[in-house]
Order: sequence, then C-alpha cells, then structure tokens
Amino acid sequence: MLFDYFGGQCPPYAMSDQHPEIDSFEVRVLRQDAPGERSRWERHRVTYERDMNVISALQKIAAQAETVDGQPVAPVCWDSNCLEEVCGACTMLINGRTRQACTALIDRLMEDCPGEIELRPMSKFPVIRDLVVDRTRLFRALTKVKAWVPVDGYLDRGQGPLRSMEEQQQSYPLSECMSCGCCLEACPQYTKIESTQDESESDEDFSARKSATYDSAFVGAHAISQAVLFNTNPIGKFIAGERLDALTGPGGIQMCGNAQNCVAVCPKEIPLTTSIARAGRSTTLHVLKKWFDR
Amino acid sequence: MTDTGPQGSFLVRHDFLIRRLHSLSGLVPVGAYMVVHLLVNSSILASTTIFQDNVDRIHSVGPVALQVIEWVFIFIPILFHAVFGVVIIAGGVPNTGEYRYGSNIRYTLQRATGIIAFFFIAWHLWHMHHYFAPLGGGNFQHQHASSSAAIALSSLPVKIGYAVGVLACCFHLANGLWTMGITWGVWTSPRAQKHATTVCAVFGIGLACLGLSAMSGFGDVDIKAAEEMERLRIQEKKYIEGKEERPTNSRRGVDRDSGG
Ligand code: SF4
Ligand code: SF4
Ligand code: FES
Repeated sequence: MLFDYFGGQCPPYAMSDQHPEIDSFEVRVLRQDAPGERSRWERHRVTYERDMNVISALQKIAAQAETVDGQPVAPVCWDSNCLEEVCGACTMLINGRTRQACTALIDRLMEDCPGEIELRPMSKFPVIRDLVVDRTRLFRALTKVKAWVPVDGYLDRGQGPLRSMEEQQQSYPLSECMSCGCCLEACPQYTKIESTQDESESDEDFSARKSATYDSAFVGAHAISQAVLFNTNPIGKFIAGERLDALTGPGGIQMCGNAQNCVAVCPKEIPLTTSIARAGRSTTLHVLKKWFDR
Repeated sequence: MTDTGPQGSFLVRHDFLIRRLHSLSGLVPVGAYMVVHLLVNSSILASTTIFQDNVDRIHSVGPVALQVIEWVFIFIPILFHAVFGVVIIAGGVPNTGEYRYGSNIRYTLQRATGIIAFFFIAWHLWHMHHYFAPLGGGNFQHQHASSSAAIALSSLPVKIGYAVGVLACCFHLANGLWTMGITWGVWTSPRAQKHATTVCAVFGIGLACLGLSAMSGFGDVDIKAAEEMERLRIQEKKYIEGKEERPTNSRRGVDRDSGG
C-alpha cells in the first residue's frame, strides 16, 4: 500500500520467476583507484548462469581481472557482508538506482535492460576504491542523534515496561533500518561531503575535522527515523530531549525539503515521511517548551 | 538571542528557528494575504462598484496606517520568505532526472515556482504599486481601481505574465501547505497525507481559478463606464466632505476631466 502511494515501485520479490535466454552479459563498472582520484568506466563480460546476483557477477569480474578488450586489470573492489539485505554494506547504484547488490538479481536486471548492467558507487559518499564508499557520515549521524537505548551499567533493572500492540506495530518497521544509505543517496538535500587530509594534519585532527563537518551538515532521513524510534522506546525516551536537541541543531530536521525520495527508495519500506512528520511535530514542541522554560 | 559570534554562526545556530519562521511566514501572513488579495480582486466579477467598494474599504484606514500594514504584514514577510527561500534553494541539489517520483517533481517545482513568484511579485509591485509611479510603473490608482487595473492589464504580454505568475504563486502556496503539514507534523500517517493531498489540491485549484477569473474579470471591464462611475464617486466624496457641488448622473459632468 505504501509502495502504491509513494513511488509505484515493485518490491523485487513480487516480480516474475523467468530466466533469460542469454550466454553472457556485459557489466560496466565505474572504477576509481583511491580517494580523490579520477574515475573511469570499465567494461567486463560475464558468462551467464541461472540465479546470479550482482555480487556473484562481481566475483566473476574480480576473478577474471580482464576487461572486454582483454586488458588485464586489478580485481574490482566492493563491500558486502550478509548477502541477504540486512547489513546494507553492498549498496551501490545499479542501472542508476540505489539498491543492494546482493538482492539485485541478474535475471530481473536482464528484464529491465537486456544484456547490460551498469554499476556505480554511491554518489553522496567519498569513494574509497571502486564500488567501496566511506559511509562514516551515516554512522556519525546515528551517534549524533543517540540512536540507542541508554542502559549502560551493571544494575539489574528488572523487566522493561509493557508496550501496547499499536506502539509495537509503529516501532517495528523503524527498527528494520539497516543503515544502507539509500535514503541519503536519493535525497536532494543530502549533498556529498568529501574532506581531504592536509599534509601537516595528524590522523586524529583530520578525523575530528571530518566529524565536525559531518555534524553541521544534514543528518538525513535514517537518523531522523531512528531518533523517532528511540524516542518512543520507554527507556530510550529518557534522553528524548537530547535527541530533539540534535535534530534542531545545525544540520537538523529543518533541512529536509520534503522531496520524499527517501521513503520511495528505502529497501525496507520504512515510513520515513511519517517519521519526519512525527519528528517535525516533536521538535517544534521541544523548541517552544525550551523557549518558555528558560 | 544573545549571540556575539559572527553572522554565519548565528544563522547556523538558529537555523531551525529561522526555517520554522520561513515555513510559517509562507502561510501567515504571506499566504493568507494572497488569498485575501485574490478574493478582493475577484470581486471585480460582481461589478466594478463592488470592487471599488472593497478597495475603498482597504484604503479607509488612511495612507499612513496602510503603509505600516503593507510593510509589516506584506513586504517584510515576503522579503524574508524570498531571501531565505533562496538560501534554501542553494542548499539542495534537485535530482528529478534520476528520481522521477511525483513528490520529487513537486520538490523541484516548489523551488522553480518560488523563483518565478519572486520575479513576478517584484514586477507586479513595480507595475501596480504607487511607489513606482515616478519610475513609469505604479499603474494602479485606488480611486480608479477598476479602470486603472483594467487598463494596466489590457495588453496580451502583461496578461500572459500575470497568468504565469498567479499560477506559480497558487502552486507554491498549495504545495507549501502540504509540505508544511509534514514540517509541523500535522499529517503524519500515509493515510492522513493522502487526504491532505486532496485537500491541498482542491485548495490550489480553487485559488488558481479565483486568480484567473479575476484576471478575466478585469479583461471584461467597460473602461469608459468604470471611469464615469469612479468620477462620480470621487465627486460624491468631495461633496460629502463639503468641498464641491452635489454630483449628478446627468450628462453635465461628462465633459469635465475626471482627473487621474
Ligand atoms: S531508512 Fe531505509 S534507506 Fe535509509 S538507511 Fe535505513 S534502510 Fe536504508
Ligand atoms: S523528505 Fe527530506 S529527507 Fe527525505 S528525501 Fe526529501 S529532503 Fe531528503
Ligand atoms: S551484503 Fe548485506 S545487504 Fe547486501
């Protein structure tokens, strides 16, 4: 129902079960050797097998280490981990669409665009190498909004409070976020930040400067949604004010332009626009309350 | 507001507040004023006399008070909304090419119509407001509301310019109202958002009809008759103030210059 309304995208598992009649297909990969270097396109031919996904195609490409013109090249790099769309590590632009490589099935991609696949690294994060990007800013935003339940300590606090069915149903979808960054990739208000280390700068200074830059830029839909999730948690609530402070500070929720691309591309179908609206309400009340309380 | 740092850090630190004010100012007073403005204008469809009545009612507060109202409730809020709007536009990178979702297209259109509205309102002010009469603009004269507006709007390029401008403003207000519901958390669930879409669409289309029909109303004004009606009203007012003889509907006064 969400899909119909927000983007009209088909969830991948709802598609057909057909196999194409091909021997091989071509994969165009946008490669880059190191951060800040120029990128270049490379074409690879992959022998078709049934039920491949983009990761298994990349494994073949890396093993071949040779372009369509027979040029020997360094094996292509990518990130992946769970291979079942729960870690978010393998997110990249597949035929221009931000999604997970592990659940991008070759059979389905051949239906969209027969014989060819285009792979690019995400465009909103600094490239480390080839399809591997540095998503530190995404995780930094989760730290900024304290996306956790504060239960550190040795004390046995007994059982947690009961939660209503309704509240559970509202929270569960938000907890499915896998920090993949699709919502950030598609967001017109989330612009790329790439810092470079000065020669005289120590690693510590550089990472501190990077964090400071990230903190003043837009937090993104995922962090807003996680703040809402933990602000509704009965124990997470204890630091609700701190989360709302983070959301109303520089780079906070006010920078959202309501394009709603985030909700349209989120592979976990998280109702991000609902989270943004809920956070919009509570941040306004929070600021008003703080203003009168001072 | 005890900031002592540089201006940049002030803007950054109060970004949330400024953006909330930007959002609010779009609805009140700017959006509300626009609705009133279009309602008053569309009273031309009833008759030139009723339109003149409405204009006179506005001007009855006196020239000084009217200017204070104009600056406080119209010019300054619009200027703030426009200037900060440009800052917002500069902060985003529209990607409608890659992501052709309806809401993303509206995001881009909201920015495009904002820019159109900005130039339209600047031109409209120059074209109609008496401040700009010495510069060749300022065509609207409140005592000759119907005739001066009808004359000012009579050429085709002006009509096209106004139609484009009015439509851009209507879209910007109706879509802005929708996004405001998210920004302030009025409609949070997808269901509520769907209903809000209908409400805002109806509001926007209604407003556009109002604006365009007002324009067609000005196009249909019989300028000669309107001038005559306005001349008699001016004369009548002067008579009430005891400055001139009693006005009549006879032909007697017609060859006298009605004055600008
Ligand atoms: S909200 Fe959705 S798109 Fe964004 S990081 Fe989480 S799972 Fe990915
Ligand atoms: S709704 Fe906000 S967070 Fe989501 S894509 Fe649009 S601007 Fe980005
Ligand atoms: S490898 Fe974990 S989501 Fe693809």
